[in-house]
Amino acid sequence: MNFDITTPTTKTELLKAIKSTKNFRFGAGYTDLLMEFKKNPPKDLTVINLAQLNDKHFSSITKTKTQIRIGAMVTASEIISDKFIHDKFPVLHHAANNLASTQIRNVATIGGNLCTASPSGDVACALMALNATCEILSTTNKIRKVNTKDFFIGVRKTVLKKNEILQSITIPLNQKGKIHSGFIKIGTRLSMECSVISLAYHFIFDNKQKIISAGIGIGSSAPTIRFTQTACDYVNGKKLAEIDRDKFAKEILTYASPISDIRGSAWYRKEVLYNISKNIFGKL
Amino acid sequence: MKKKVDTNKIEISFSLNGEKKTMLIKSSMILLDLIRDEIGLTGTKTGCNEGECGACTVLINDVAVNSCLFPAINIQGKNVTTIEGISDGVKLDPVQEALIEKGGVQCGFCTSGMVMTIKGMQTKFKKGKHKPTTEEIKKGLEGNLCRCTGYVKIVEAAEKVIHGHS
Repeated sequence: MNFDITTPTTKTELLKAIKSTKNFRFGAGYTDLLMEFKKNPPKDLTVINLAQLNDKHFSSITKTKTQIRIGAMVTASEIISDKFIHDKFPVLHHAANNLASTQIRNVATIGGNLCTASPSGDVACALMALNATCEILSTTNKIRKVNTKDFFIGVRKTVLKKNEILQSITIPLNQKGKIHSGFIKIGTRLSMECSVISLAYHFIFDNKQKIISAGIGIGSSAPTIRFTQTACDYVNGKKLAEIDRDKFAKEILTYASPISDIRGSAWYRKEVLYNISKNIFGKL
Repeated sequence: MKKKVDTNKIEISFSLNGEKKTMLIKSSMILLDLIRDEIGLTGTKTGCNEGECGACTVLINDVAVNSCLFPAINIQGKNVTTIEGISDGVKLDPVQEALIEKGGVQCGFCTSGMVMTIKGMQTKFKKGKHKPTTEEIKKGLEGNLCRCTGYVKIVEAAEKVIHGHS
């Protein structure tokens, strides 16, 4: 395996590297990239190495009254140990904590999980349920905002252009209320698993037990992770007793077009998705 | 930006098992290959070579990572600890003692990786006040495969070291 590598340490150097390098890939946590290179050795490729980038926009978690911002280089382990995320966004905590193994979580980044654009990206699925927005930096030093719902355009394809890089993700903090939030990952074993089906949900209830905010993302069930808008619309403004759970689960299923592969058949994936969707509200 | 010294070669400085080192390496070199083939420390094992088995686990600034999926240039300025640096060469580390005492070593191929992962967990939990449950310890070990022991004795050894009792 042979590739050239350039290691920017500041944002200015990074933008310069993006501008001046012809054929490049970004290297963040490398857990996916090096696997890919081992299978298909790259030719005439430069890796823009982000691991030594010293820029807080990329590497820190910051909070304001209205949002939380997570840098693209923040690792899964850093997300897991953030108490605020644990309390306010359990779905993101669970998703990060279910990713691969300790060793992988210690280096794998949130930006990498999004930009890899795998149909089974756990962290990406949780971010979609949280209505997160990607902040994309271009070589003109301008930020473009894209909602995670619109970030993926196909298997391993995102809206990122050649002169752009994902800098950070923001999650809105605009509604208060009781949270019902979690990440369901169905796999063929409990650890180191690529999911057969995954579902991320984040609901907020007002003091009258009415849902005032709903977010549901599904993974491993279509070419990209998908936000199930109509299912969210269906439950929004309703109390639990008013929700027909069969109808709700079928609404989620309309977004699923899974494939059959080594992990499970398309039929099985749909059955599982229906069943976990129906039980999202459990004993609430 | 790091200057390229030769085409494809980069100079890195780091600390390996407490000893400062400066080396000229190929830019695309993997940390596992640097440790085993260039430096000659073969206690770190090559297992699956794809981040599944954990036999190649080393500590970087006290955090466990798979060295088979880590670019060597990113140890620049960091402290790398391998199995060779875990004890002083005379007295074993408590993690190694516990694995022997509990019978957590059979063929031994996974052992160096296990030791490093348990060491990483021990350091992590020492920093916080939280005492991990057995389930949390098992979760911490999910990236290390062992085909001999059935894991029970390894988990017992980890519990002993992390909880500080037998």
